[in-house]
Amino acid sequence: MIEHGPLIERLLAGDFICAVSDENAFRRLQDEQVREQLDTYLRPLNRRLAANPENSVYFLAWRNLNDEAREQLSQQLGETLHSLLPLLEWLRLVQEALGRDALVAPGDVLKPAEFSAKCEDNQSLRERLERLATDSFFGSQSEQLDAQLKQVFKRLKEHGYLLQPHADRQVYLVTGKVDYLIDLVRFIRDEENLPIDEEAPATQEALL
Amino acid sequence: MSEVHTLESRLLTTGTERLALLGKHADALMQGYTRDEVPLEALTDAALRKLLAARILWRPDEQSGVKLSPKVRDLIAEMLADETRRHVNADVAETLELIRSLVQSYREARSRGEYWQQEQQLLRLRQELDDLNGRFADAIDSLWQRLNSDFGFVSRLNDKIRENHRAQKQIERLLDGLTLIDFDELIALVGSDGTLRKLLISQLQQQLSQHYTSLREVQRRLTELMARFRQQQSQSRLVAGMAAFLREHPGFVPGNYARRSEVPALVNRATPLIAAAAPALDRHQDAAVLSELIRQLPAPVHSPQAVEAAQPAEQQLESHVAARQQALKQDVERFYLTVVDEADAAGAPGISALGYLHARELEWQDEIWLFQVIAEYQSLPRSEQRAFRLHQEESQASSYNHVRLIHDVTLTLALSA
Repeated sequence: MIEHGPLIERLLAGDFICAVSDENAFRRLQDEQVREQLDTYLRPLNRRLAANPENSVYFLAWRNLNDEAREQLSQQLGETLHSLLPLLEWLRLVQEALGRDALVAPGDVLKPAEFSAKCEDNQSLRERLERLATDSFFGSQSEQLDAQLKQVFKRLKEHGYLLQPHADRQVYLVTGKVDYLIDLVRFIRDEENLPIDEEAPATQEALL
Repeated sequence: MSEVHTLESRLLTTGTERLALLGKHADALMQGYTRDEVPLEALTDAALRKLLAARILWRPDEQSGVKLSPKVRDLIAEMLADETRRHVNADVAETLELIRSLVQSYREARSRGEYWQQEQQLLRLRQELDDLNGRFADAIDSLWQRLNSDFGFVSRLNDKIRENHRAQKQIERLLDGLTLIDFDELIALVGSDGTLRKLLISQLQQQLSQHYTSLREVQRRLTELMARFRQQQSQSRLVAGMAAFLREHPGFVPGNYARRSEVPALVNRATPLIAAAAPALDRHQDAAVLSELIRQLPAPVHSPQAVEAAQPAEQQLESHVAARQQALKQDVERFYLTVVDEADAAGAPGISALGYLHARELEWQDEIWLFQVIAEYQSLPRSEQRAFRLHQEESQASSYNHVRLIHDVTLTLALSA
């Protein structure tokens, strides 16, 4: 158990463990025996190991959903919903700025400098970034493009969607938490029967 | 025979000449490859005529411009591994027809005893089989290239999906082509001829089974890739759709999943828990580590504070220490004066510091006394220092190091020359 110490600590702290954020730990978590060991250990803390449907990212869930846990989950859900639109807008912005038609995926490399260059050339991107950065979730106070970008990346790093391998280099990696976000979006759509089509060609885009 | 040789050498010269045309007009031909038509400004009339005669270029009709012939276009695409233009076409049925007729001619030549004819038919048969094999190998190579680049030659996901679809169709055609080759028929065709058997049965069978395996593998990978493309596409649509929905419905609040009897797995995320710890001193073996940590702490910077209440006590202490220090210093000075006085009377005998201390029955400890005597000597100005000689009576502390212990010092007045 002792070798899992740092991993348990990260999980307890609320980190999402994926192949990008901690490859070694992620490999260990794919072993069912290790998962069982961890679950046993976490039992007195009323926590258990959980994963998204594709098992691409692991995190801790409440084992027993008592009133306190439900209260916390309701509150957390509210926060998640508040951050949902800005996060989705960010995903769309990245996609467009980089001229790709697939979303960013875990392991993708993002550089603020690259965005800065794209936004300088494109007024519409620039305006959208500005709107996004000043949203209360990202909370940038600046009018400068670079400062806004910096704030956006900083917040995404704080929330675990991005990873900065070297503190002194402005290069970020997309983590598996993005998968979790998309799973959550799909879940909400299904639960609420929202009129959002995944299969047919997107006509929504044309309407926007 | 000589007629045949003439034919062969004529073929050789013409072929070489025409191949050379490709190199000579490479620029113009490549422009024709990238554009719709070959620019005529770059070509002389004679050159154009030669290129048309060699069927490197062709003119669809009188009005239109000159274009690359399909075969040359294929050749260039092949050489550039240009996956957008590379054609996959194994054409098995036609090749099989040709093989049948070549085998027939070969056997007729053999029965007539026309040895040279027989060899020629065999050569053509070998070339046809090589071609067939090459076409499969080439098609498979082209498919792998496209697969490994994730269809990188087109940028939009929709195009990638279309290209993937096209590649899968090609594989189906190639696999269909492979099933056209009926080895039972070939076995019957070659009969007992060993050379033909080796060529058409064992060699071909081995090559084709390799191609079959490769094609199945490419097919599997293409299907996987297609699933990934589709997933990317649906994710992208999902995100776009949800963003649009939330923008249009700012007041949207989904159900409170946390209050359901069965909380959905995705929304069950436990509160972060920080595993805190504080230094504890109740375990003896930790003491060393903790004290080491404390030693490593940067010294706290305290701005001097006037502490009114503590002042008298502290001053007393300080003045007491200072008085003792002063007394010691004065005693040592007296010792120095004694040395000077004694030297005047009886040459310069030198006086032992400890001897003096004990003789005068002074209260200082030996060590402190010696220390102060040496310190006094060292604090003298250089010119006055020269007036004294300080001899240290010392010994080595141990044979393992160079620490020396001072037992006593003898101070002598150095008589100036």
